[in-house]
Amino acid sequence: MRSISLCLLYAALVAACTSSSQNDDRLVIDEASLLNTAQRARVALFHGLLLSDFDIDYRVVTSKETDDIDRYAVTRFAELGTGTSSTTSRGLLLVIDPVQDRVRLEVGYALEGTYPDAFVAYVEQRQMVPFFKAGRVADGILATTELIVSRAQDATKNAGLDSEVQLDGSGGAGATTAARLGAGNDTVYTDIEVSGGRSPAETLKKYFEAMQQRNANPSLDIYTPATQRMMKDWVMTPAQMDNVVNSYRRCHAESARYDTRRRYAVIRYPVSERQCSPWFFETVDGTWALDLTMMQRAIRFGRDNSWHFERGANHPYNFAFDDWAFDASGFPRE
Amino acid sequence: MQDDGILTAEQAALLKDSLDRQSVHDQAEIRGSSRKARNNVARWAIALLLAVSVVVFFVLVSGSGVEPQAPQDVAATLNDPGGTGQMNKSFSGILAIALFLIVPLLLWMWLHNSLVTKEETVFESWAQVESNLERRADLIPALVETVSRYLRHESETLTTVTAQRSDANLEAALNELIAAQKSSADIIGEDGPDIVENDADLARLFAAQQRIGQRMQSFLAVAENYPELRSSDQFLELQAQLEGTENRINVARMRFNESVGDYNAAIRRLPASLIASAGGFGRKAYFQADAESQEAPDLAFD
Repeated sequence: MRSISLCLLYAALVAACTSSSQNDDRLVIDEASLLNTAQRARVALFHGLLLSDFDIDYRVVTSKETDDIDRYAVTRFAELGTGTSSTTSRGLLLVIDPVQDRVRLEVGYALEGTYPDAFVAYVEQRQMVPFFKAGRVADGILATTELIVSRAQDATKNAGLDSEVQLDGSGGAGATTAARLGAGNDTVYTDIEVSGGRSPAETLKKYFEAMQQRNANPSLDIYTPATQRMMKDWVMTPAQMDNVVNSYRRCHAESARYDTRRRYAVIRYPVSERQCSPWFFETVDGTWALDLTMMQRAIRFGRDNSWHFERGANHPYNFAFDDWAFDASGFPRE
Repeated sequence: MQDDGILTAEQAALLKDSLDRQSVHDQAEIRGSSRKARNNVARWAIALLLAVSVVVFFVLVSGSGVEPQAPQDVAATLNDPGGTGQMNKSFSGILAIALFLIVPLLLWMWLHNSLVTKEETVFESWAQVESNLERRADLIPALVETVSRYLRHESETLTTVTAQRSDANLEAALNELIAAQKSSADIIGEDGPDIVENDADLARLFAAQQRIGQRMQSFLAVAENYPELRSSDQFLELQAQLEGTENRINVARMRFNESVGDYNAAIRRLPASLIASAGGFGRKAYFQADAESQEAPDLAFD
């Protein structure tokens, strides 16, 4: 009996793996071999979630033979039946050609209102290409998916996604950009110095101002030395900086909370504002600096951008959350 | 009556004789009318027989004869597993006449409707092309406004000769773009929807659209000299929209030409060509450069 159960379990696992692999092959067609197996699976996983959460069928094709990438994208969109996995015909197709060094995101008719050409050009140029320049193709694709998800969330809130026409195919909407694959990070940082604030709130204000000016300089005094070291290896895109400013504009910060020795501080937001994650500060030479290293270690984001704590992560900022309860996954509760 | 003294014996004898004769006459008359009736029935029967004979004759003639009706033969009414059966010949004759009339009619309707569908596809695809041309036409004023605002701002801050010369180049490129757009709008305005019937007009419109594309490229090339303008989000947004519209126009043009090719081939093929000529289905023009302009280089831009 036990052996039969094991056989059935094995068969189910094989079927699940085969199905998953087929799903990966359908969502990610890497003809130009730009991604490894793990990266393909990761992209397919996130794009599968996009389909289940927002009914958006988002495919990725890499090819060395696009010739005219604009025409290729329209033709391939139809050939692959992009949008057919969606019940509302919502389809997106990302085409990357390393030979022509071009990237195009083709938008189906059913999503033209949600993702206008200007937005597509923006995410390509301001989010995807910076990662491509650093040779991080999979990260560039996923970072773009993040903005696509964010846009879909906003559209869902405003009923924009559901009001779209349900029409199969694409008519050439989207944008094409120079991919600049492996061109290297040529970001020129602004020479505007930003010093640490005398209070956590002042430092946070300076940080938002720097983001608004798209000042990606990792050596600013508003960061702790550990954060500065970590950020040197980061790809900080203009779109990410814009996103920080825009997403926190709607958040209502509470007063800063300090530890007993006033070495650490936290600015947090009401639990109901689930997409506004807290900020950690540490004193450095008499001013308050952002401790992004600890934030990165302790805070995670769910599919709907709600923040939660990484269970078991060790950091010195727990004092600020003594009055909150957390569920098994680390999501705060009032 | 003789006993009552009303009639004499002589009179009574005359009356009896008269009555006897009347009775014989009546009987004869009854017999005669009965014979007449029989004669009528016979006549009707003969007429009916004749009518049936005529009908049978016509049926035989029209249906190549009816096979003599054998007494009921049960074996003959059983299905023959290997046989295909034989239809009643008179019915098959009528069916043949009906098919001779109805099938061509159905074929004519099908071919006509198929041509109508293909022609409608051509009109629909042209509407897509026009809609995208209008979309681009609507974007150009926004581009003009953005650049003009930038130039005004720059003229207030920069007064060097080099800057003024650059501004003149940018302004000239913009003016050429506006002129090309106007020329294209004029062609569409002149011809209206009939433009798809006219090769020369459609080629002229195509040339005008090509000019807009060239002027656009030329304008963007000049704008490269203005990093501040080029990097502004508003300009990037407009540029993305213009490039997106350009691509939509290309896709719509490609689909329009495909639908025209499909339609033009259909109206030339037999037997649809007969219906096309009778139904007034004319050839449609392709939205592409004519042979002359393909060969002639555009000297205005390098």
